[in-house]
Amino acid sequence: MFKVLLAAVALLLTYSFASAEPLSPGELKTLLARIREKRSNAPQVQASFQEEKNIHLLNKPISSSGKVWFQAPNKFRREVTGNSPSVTVGDGQQLWIYYPNFKSAEHYSLGRRSPLDAGIAALTAGLNLENVESTYHLSASQKEKGFILDLVPRNPSMKRFLQRFKVDLNDSLQVERTEMLQPNGDRIVTVYSSETRAPIPAATFEFTPPAGTEITTPLGR
Amino acid sequence: MRISDIIAYLVTRRRGAMWMAIGGLTVASLMVLVTRMRLDTEVLNLLPKGFESVEGLKVYNRDFAQVRELTFALRCAPEDADKLEEFAPQFAQRLRAQPWCTRILAGAPIETPDGIRDLQSIALPLLLNLEPPAFGETIALLEPARIRDRLHRLHQEIEAGSPRPEMELSLDPLGVIGPALKPFAENASIQEEQPLTSSDRTTRVFLVVTNQPTIGAFDCQRLMEKVNAFCQTAATGWDGGKLEVLVTGRSAYVAEISLSMRHDIVITLLGSILLVGGVFYAGFRRWLPLLGMGFSLLLCCLIALAAGLLIFGELNMVTVGFCAILIGLGVDFAILVFGRYQQARDDGLNYEAAVRDAVSNLGRAVFFGALTTAVGFLALLLAQSGGFTQLGVLIAIGISFAGVLMLTVFFLFLPRRAPQIRHDWIFSTVKSYVSWTVRRPAPMLWIATPLLLALTALALSPRPRLLFDVSTHSMEPKSSAAGHALQTIMAKMPTRWEPVIGIVRAENPQELHDAWHKIAAHWSELQAAGKIKSFSTPAALALSPARLTSNRLRLQAIDFNATRQALQTSVVSEGFTPATFAPAFTLLEQLQRTLDPAAPIPDWRTELAPSSSWWFLVDRYFAHDPLLTTGFVSTNAPVETQDQKQMLRKELPVAGIPMSLSGWSFTLTDLVPWSRHQLIFISTLMAIFDASLLAFLYRDWRLWLIQLATLAMSIGGMIASMKLLHIPLNLLNVLAFRLVLAIGVDYGIYVLLVWQRATKLEHDVAGVVKPVLLAGLTAICGFGSLGFANNPTLSGLGVACAIGLSWSLAATIFFTLPAAAAVEPKIWREEVS
Repeated sequence: MFKVLLAAVALLLTYSFASAEPLSPGELKTLLARIREKRSNAPQVQASFQEEKNIHLLNKPISSSGKVWFQAPNKFRREVTGNSPSVTVGDGQQLWIYYPNFKSAEHYSLGRRSPLDAGIAALTAGLNLENVESTYHLSASQKEKGFILDLVPRNPSMKRFLQRFKVDLNDSLQVERTEMLQPNGDRIVTVYSSETRAPIPAATFEFTPPAGTEITTPLGR
Repeated sequence: MRISDIIAYLVTRRRGAMWMAIGGLTVASLMVLVTRMRLDTEVLNLLPKGFESVEGLKVYNRDFAQVRELTFALRCAPEDADKLEEFAPQFAQRLRAQPWCTRILAGAPIETPDGIRDLQSIALPLLLNLEPPAFGETIALLEPARIRDRLHRLHQEIEAGSPRPEMELSLDPLGVIGPALKPFAENASIQEEQPLTSSDRTTRVFLVVTNQPTIGAFDCQRLMEKVNAFCQTAATGWDGGKLEVLVTGRSAYVAEISLSMRHDIVITLLGSILLVGGVFYAGFRRWLPLLGMGFSLLLCCLIALAAGLLIFGELNMVTVGFCAILIGLGVDFAILVFGRYQQARDDGLNYEAAVRDAVSNLGRAVFFGALTTAVGFLALLLAQSGGFTQLGVLIAIGISFAGVLMLTVFFLFLPRRAPQIRHDWIFSTVKSYVSWTVRRPAPMLWIATPLLLALTALALSPRPRLLFDVSTHSMEPKSSAAGHALQTIMAKMPTRWEPVIGIVRAENPQELHDAWHKIAAHWSELQAAGKIKSFSTPAALALSPARLTSNRLRLQAIDFNATRQALQTSVVSEGFTPATFAPAFTLLEQLQRTLDPAAPIPDWRTELAPSSSWWFLVDRYFAHDPLLTTGFVSTNAPVETQDQKQMLRKELPVAGIPMSLSGWSFTLTDLVPWSRHQLIFISTLMAIFDASLLAFLYRDWRLWLIQLATLAMSIGGMIASMKLLHIPLNLLNVLAFRLVLAIGVDYGIYVLLVWQRATKLEHDVAGVVKPVLLAGLTAICGFGSLGFANNPTLSGLGVACAIGLSWSLAATIFFTLPAAAAVEPKIWREEVS
């Protein structure tokens, strides 16, 4: 049954790519202008997500789901639910990853041009398409109901973390799906739903570890 | 028979024998030069001996691998920063391919697969070297339950999107390498403060260890020829704007300095010959005496160089300046002797009689002049600096020979027939001045005395301050590409200041381990107390044989089969790929093998690949002899004051552990008292010697007092000029004061000795003032030509001496002469030739 389902999805994807029409440079420019306008009207976004990771460390893909909040230019929060819950909060300067099951948290400093910064930039690229053309080589195509953006990093430090990034947008220019391919072969597909652009309280992007949390700094201070 | 008679006889009647003697001396000197010439380019040999910090710096420069390290930097425009990031790996690859490159550091080793593999290879000995509690905690991680928990947790962290599991599993799949490397990582922290990329990403640094066979000047030159050729083509493939390829390091400096020695020799020697010759010709309008003077001076240089090589075995770079100084000094004798000879010929004496007259009248003055100058330069022996000791001895020998040769060989070049009498405007001007100032000394004294006193007051005044530059920059060659590269890198990189280094030499590995263990604990307390900013030591890499044995025994408590089974099961149950954990199984096998007491514990030195980038870190701590080590202390502020130095000297050492403290800034600060001692104490000794000699010479307290006042005001004028012109004193040009005292006193001796004996003022006094004027100008030119030298030590010394001698000459002519005329009036009688 699973194999049949997989074949159906593959067929569907093949069809959707086959039917995608590449955009001309002028059309791409217009599309980016529309995205920019939409983002400038509401620089924040929140959505539910479902994610599947194929990681070289593991034999099988990992699936997870949760909710994500983003506010331009670099604040975000990501809550994973289920058996292995976690909360990830970044404000541009710091990144916290909290594991409620273990009562432990990891703390990272951002803004040092480390591979981590490139990773965070890639992680939020789907939600933050502002000035995307300055960071990535960009091509786009039109699908039946929406667009597909194909992003290849310009910056060598980002290239070390990210090989290719694909963003599916719907007619309303909402992100439907992202696909991230990393140089080590890892592949992460995220499907977004229930996107809204309602204002987000500032506290969402703040994180204070609960009392008794064991805090580690894997990359040092 | 008097000496003047003997010389006159030899010069006029035994010329063949004289030439043969000269030929023999020349050939012998040349033989010594050709067969024994060795140059010492070590800048540290200019610093005084007997200082622990200086010796420490020499040990660090000589015995540690960083002596063969070159720093390359690429610098681009801000808009090309991304291109530079892409180009850097190509550049690094090209560097790696060079035959002179042993290894290269182009990025943090931990970020590369090779760097991680290298760390894994040295983990076992470092694990067994952990302190007992830390070792106990670490091997507890091998319990089956702990292994299962760890892998489960890692799985969950991967699900959460944490970057940590991948980092951890790539380095340490078993979980014991991290704790084993922790002490090493803590000690590496001081290196983290020196990134390889500037914050604006426009500059990237690459460290390269070269394979040059020796650290001598010629090997450095050969290496830098290849390096410079590489730099010419290194930017191939770069498609951005201007890309600067910079290189610095010890070899770059040594190659530059040794090559600049050639430049310095040529420039200063040619400069001084041209300037001195020009002044001589302007003064006497004769070619043959000029040729004789040049020949005699070159012969002095040759003899002194040969004598120097025989005495010292090699010559320091600073001694290359001695030829220019010697020419500047020796020409005084030629001018004085020829002036007197010319006067005698003008008076109608024949060749032999004129030679006799010149020698008998000026022999004493030349002897004392040579003596004061030689003693002045020999006083450099008190500086305890190898380079300056050589300079002092060479000039003392040279000036003594100059005195002898100018009273003998020089005459061989003078024509036997009487020269034509020509109008001499310099002599006329000097004579007019002498006539005026001797008849009416008061006006000149009223002008000169207040001016010189005002300058002396300015010199003694606390403001403006005399600049004293003890920075490392004051020792760098002028217009140095290596210096420019270093400054560019320092400006671009947010580096901390240079650390203080503590050098420890142990008798055996256990002693080394124990020493650094105690030092690290002590420095940790100092850091906690805020007395130092940070530190790093080789403690983690200094293995303790005793601890390795005891920890090995504790491994017997581990059930390795159970551990292996638990790991196998957890890998499968958590869904990890087997490849990820392959190194973990290998390490388990290694640990199990060490249970056998007969099995050797691997040495991290042999396990770490020779091309590993980690050697860049390791080599900073360990010399070629692994029992010679250094630790680094980063201070709260750059070491510049005596208080800081005293505090560090008091706090850093640990009782019972011999440790030498050093580092460039620390050493230069350490040398400030020495330098001030040179300035005050030894200059005072020199002044006392001069004063005693003058008292013996004049036997007239008034002339003696005038001469002392002249010397004091000359030094005052020198200091005031340096203050006003913002010329700094540095650790080495303070030696100029004693040289000015030694040379400046001669001018007074020539004038006052003649003044005392003068019967015909216009003949005797004007006859000596003109040569003194010319001699002073030539000495100033001789020293001034050193200002063109690339070597900052020579250049600074030359400029300071030229200023001091200018004031000495001015004070002699405008103060000494009128003052002598005022206190001991003589009748002026105009004679018509």
